Amino acid sequence: MKGERPKPPLAALVYGEIVYWGVLLGSVIAIIGSTLAFLGDNFVPVSYWLSSVWKGESVAQIWEGTTGSLPMGHWYLPHLTTGDALTALGLSLGVFAVVPALFLSSAILLKEGEKLYGTLALVGGLVVLMGVLGLAPMP
Amino acid sequence: MQKTKRMRKGRLWSLVTSVPELTILIILIAGGYLIMGVFSRVEGTEVLSPSAMWLIIVGCFLISTAVAVLAVIGGIGGGVIFTPIMLGFTHMDSLVIRATGLVVAMFSGLISSGPFMRSQLANLKVVFYCGVPITIGALVGSVSAIYLHEALGAVGDGIVRLSLGILMLVVAYFLFTGGGKTEYPVPKRIDALSVKLRLNGSYWEASLGKMVDYQMIRALWGGILFILLGFMGGFFGLGGGAFLTATLNLIMAAPIKIAAACSGVLLAISNATAIWTYITYGALIAIFAAPWMLGQVVGGILGAHLLIRIRAGFVRKVLILILLASSVKLIVRGVEGTFGIHIPIL
Repeated sequence: MKGERPKPPLAALVYGEIVYWGVLLGSVIAIIGSTLAFLGDNFVPVSYWLSSVWKGESVAQIWEGTTGSLPMGHWYLPHLTTGDALTALGLSLGVFAVVPALFLSSAILLKEGEKLYGTLALVGGLVVLMGVLGLAPMP
Repeated sequence: MQKTKRMRKGRLWSLVTSVPELTILIILIAGGYLIMGVFSRVEGTEVLSPSAMWLIIVGCFLISTAVAVLAVIGGIGGGVIFTPIMLGFTHMDSLVIRATGLVVAMFSGLISSGPFMRSQLANLKVVFYCGVPITIGALVGSVSAIYLHEALGAVGDGIVRLSLGILMLVVAYFLFTGGGKTEYPVPKRIDALSVKLRLNGSYWEASLGKMVDYQMIRALWGGILFILLGFMGGFFGLGGGAFLTATLNLIMAAPIKIAAACSGVLLAISNATAIWTYITYGALIAIFAAPWMLGQVVGGILGAHLLIRIRAGFVRKVLILILLASSVKLIVRGVEGTFGIHIPIL
């Protein structure tokens, strides 16, 4: 045990701050989107979303009543002027913050000569990115 | 009495000044919900009236905030409370619940990543070493959940409920016994891989007023376990923070504070991987999930900053009761769904 408090590594700070502020930005977009969804245009009416979930309809049944089939992708991106799509963007952005955080942290670690942990952060980021891009095989 | 009141007021004020972004977010949320209630143009359906829809949104936000605070004090992920209760006591679709459960499980962990990294309670090397197996496990788990849902339908949901009910009994046992956790584990033998990976560090221990050094062990076993834990989180739509903390503390010999902080950050990374499967499949209904997300963000910050002095023992007892009740209900519904029988008593 020793007495001095060392500074946190730069890569850790960068990771933590990107995720923290990314989540806050996503939260702000989500609340704006939710408010707009109750006031104006939506990709799918709010009443339909909530009633379907409340009734216990399956995911397939819910989407059958909207676009006719499961979205199998980022349905909200082409409809960002609508409230429900903006809410989905806020949620996604909050989650997505992990990807740039891992990549930037990895870059800093590699620059500092921490090849092993820089590579591990890069691999972690790539696995999350696989999920984002929907590259995992789906039924 | 007056002194305590003054102290509480002082803590609240220091929170307002030290975390202004939280204050702004709370004002935005309150304003947003007020506008939604007053100027709503949503039409009613045969199932829900416009005011009922508004109440669902605001209610979900308030419950989520409470769940986040409870989870932070109890030292477990919010998903462990949300997913079993919703799967056990509501008729909502299990994929919708599990997708929203991941939101509940991850956002308090995501928001606490910043403070944990700043305070060095989260060890970057541990996070990135365990991060790879847990993300791979989470991705495979979430895809498996969709496959099982597609292939087995109601029977698949029954299997999920039954196995989750049993899992919740294990979590309740962990909470009851404390899992044999030790504050400062002293490893007897340090394996070569842990030394090579430099899974060690030091952190400021406020209760001792000095820096504490630690060395972690069993890197290989830890890595294998994290694949399984990631799979479990992605499949069931819950974080399993209690299991992550136990693995880091009991198997890998991290001090309990380091284990809890690393578990929060790892939970966020693994769920951030798993949730995309549910998003792209369409199982995350944003309008329903957003208040849960916002509650987790607000509750996560509040819980960490304000309620640190509340007796964790009482909260743990409440959590154990909630988990036991949910697990009994889940097991009953699981048996009903899997074997097609009806249990009238429960």
